Amino acid sequence: MDGERIREPVETDLYVEIQRFLADEAALLDRHAYREWFSFVTTDISYRITTHVVRPADEGTQHHEIIDENNELLGLRVEQLSDPKLTRAENPRSLYRRFVTNVRADHGDYPDSFFVATNLLVYKNRPSNRDVQIYAGERRDVLRRVDRTFHIASRVVRLDQTVLLGGALGTVF
Amino acid sequence: MRPTPTGSFVDAENGFVRREAFTSDDVYRTELDQIFDRSWIYLGHESEIPAPGDYVTRRLGSAPVIVVRTDDGEVRALLNSCRHRGTKLCRGDAGRAANFVCPYHGWSYRNNGELVTTTFNDHFPENTDFSQFNLVPVPRLERRYGMIFGCWDSGVISLDEYLGDVSWYLKSFFDRTPGGMEILGPPHRWAVDSNWKVGALNFIGDSQHVATTHAGPITLDRVRAAKEGFSVAGQDSFQVVTDEGHGCTLTYLAPGMPAPNYETHNPELQQLYDEKLAPDQIGMLHNLRVCVGNVFPHLSFIETQADRGQKAVILRLWQPTSGKSMEVLSWVFAEKEASDEYKDNVLKKGFHNFGAAGVFEQDDMELWISATDASDNPIAAQFPYSFHTALPYMNTTVADYEWPGRAYRPSNTEVAQFEFMRHWDRQMQSNAAGQNGEPVNGR
Repeated sequence: MDGERIREPVETDLYVEIQRFLADEAALLDRHAYREWFSFVTTDISYRITTHVVRPADEGTQHHEIIDENNELLGLRVEQLSDPKLTRAENPRSLYRRFVTNVRADHGDYPDSFFVATNLLVYKNRPSNRDVQIYAGERRDVLRRVDRTFHIASRVVRLDQTVLLGGALGTVF
Repeated sequence: MRPTPTGSFVDAENGFVRREAFTSDDVYRTELDQIFDRSWIYLGHESEIPAPGDYVTRRLGSAPVIVVRTDDGEVRALLNSCRHRGTKLCRGDAGRAANFVCPYHGWSYRNNGELVTTTFNDHFPENTDFSQFNLVPVPRLERRYGMIFGCWDSGVISLDEYLGDVSWYLKSFFDRTPGGMEILGPPHRWAVDSNWKVGALNFIGDSQHVATTHAGPITLDRVRAAKEGFSVAGQDSFQVVTDEGHGCTLTYLAPGMPAPNYETHNPELQQLYDEKLAPDQIGMLHNLRVCVGNVFPHLSFIETQADRGQKAVILRLWQPTSGKSMEVLSWVFAEKEASDEYKDNVLKKGFHNFGAAGVFEQDDMELWISATDASDNPIAAQFPYSFHTALPYMNTTVADYEWPGRAYRPSNTEVAQFEFMRHWDRQMQSNAAGQNGEPVNGR
């Protein structure tokens, strides 16, 4: 078992609810509904993406941020991607398919707050440049219960990449 | 098979550049030999390797190198290849080591490159001089403003001579406080299927692409400015070209503009600039909105627009990997004396705009890949790229320009880009073997 896991796993009903939320959220991003997706993040969201610096194995793994954004910066990113007149990277649209698996959901530090770790695989087909990339990574979220759904309060995406392939990243994970 | 492109690629009289310059692997191989193995190439910043034993692995021209701070505190650059059978001593991006031990047969070296043992010294012929097996040092290594440059050509001119007039500008951005600049983390790296010169041209002076390519962030910035009640208008500015093939574009704020969130530099840091910079350099920075530039061949720099008093300073390498691909390395800097909060904000805004997932970068890369894909075929190759908006301005330098280099107005012509291409073309010709160039290191 994963030695990092010291928290209390959520009950089955809640687990299913969280899984459903993750699938719905991924579907929004797959069909480029960025603004709708953005309505499911909290005003105090921390959104980060990291890549690896490769060091000798005995020096440990170094993740470092390529994105570290709050609600304002992430909102600007979302606005740019949402309007075809404001984006070259996503006009024409990329073809996306997101796979969110290996869901581990635990109770968080507060009631109605949950730690959710998942594996992520994103297929991205850039038809205009005849380019296909597959981004794999680990995602660590903090979800908050809001009404009958969840909001993303924190998301760290650890991409399994050193040199990011396929140009600069216009993808939301 | 397509014929090997030869001769000049730039039609200086008519404003054309042949497309093969941006797609051909033959051109790339010639560039490695004529330019990248003979020029001063940026290897990294001293603040990346602060402690003895710290190293990063980089590429110097055609070859992989280790840039290391030795146990004596010296900065050295060594060919990252064992003298025995060639294995890389360091196979990661960065690390810390007192010795480099080859994982293949165990040859081991001190971190200054001196051979310690082959493990089998006893089996060597008698009187073997083992110092011949020290790691191959980069023969020329010099530093300026914390920036480490190397060159494989031991006969190259000094770094100061090579940088020439661009040095004055580099100092204004990278050595302007007593503590100097420091990197804020490892470089962002991304691979792009486009030629390295597209990046260099984009940074040396491509004001024409900003409004179209970057309609996204520019429009959203205007919306925010209108909401917060200030203007982001700039005024007509300069393109600067130096004799050494370097250049930059300086864009100034319109005078008297109410720009509470866009004051040009953090006032606390400006006080420190006064200690370190000459009055004319402070004059150059005053009201500066954005500066982008390129040090020949492929080191670009940018001081971004201020946002709430924070300005990111970024260095960028367009490392070629073939005729139509490159790896980009990008570092964000801040003044050592700046507060942690300032640095954190600079980093976050820098990443948002100009990193591996930058909102400016993502649109640039899409279009550069597109241009490369469309140009890499024999039909398109018959129709050279246009640099015509340089032509009417090539001989119209600003007479009363007070700072180093030749300045041109308006800033949205292609003078600096075309001058870059002409310099590149001359380098490709003049260093050619059999003309006046000596082969590098006796090759």
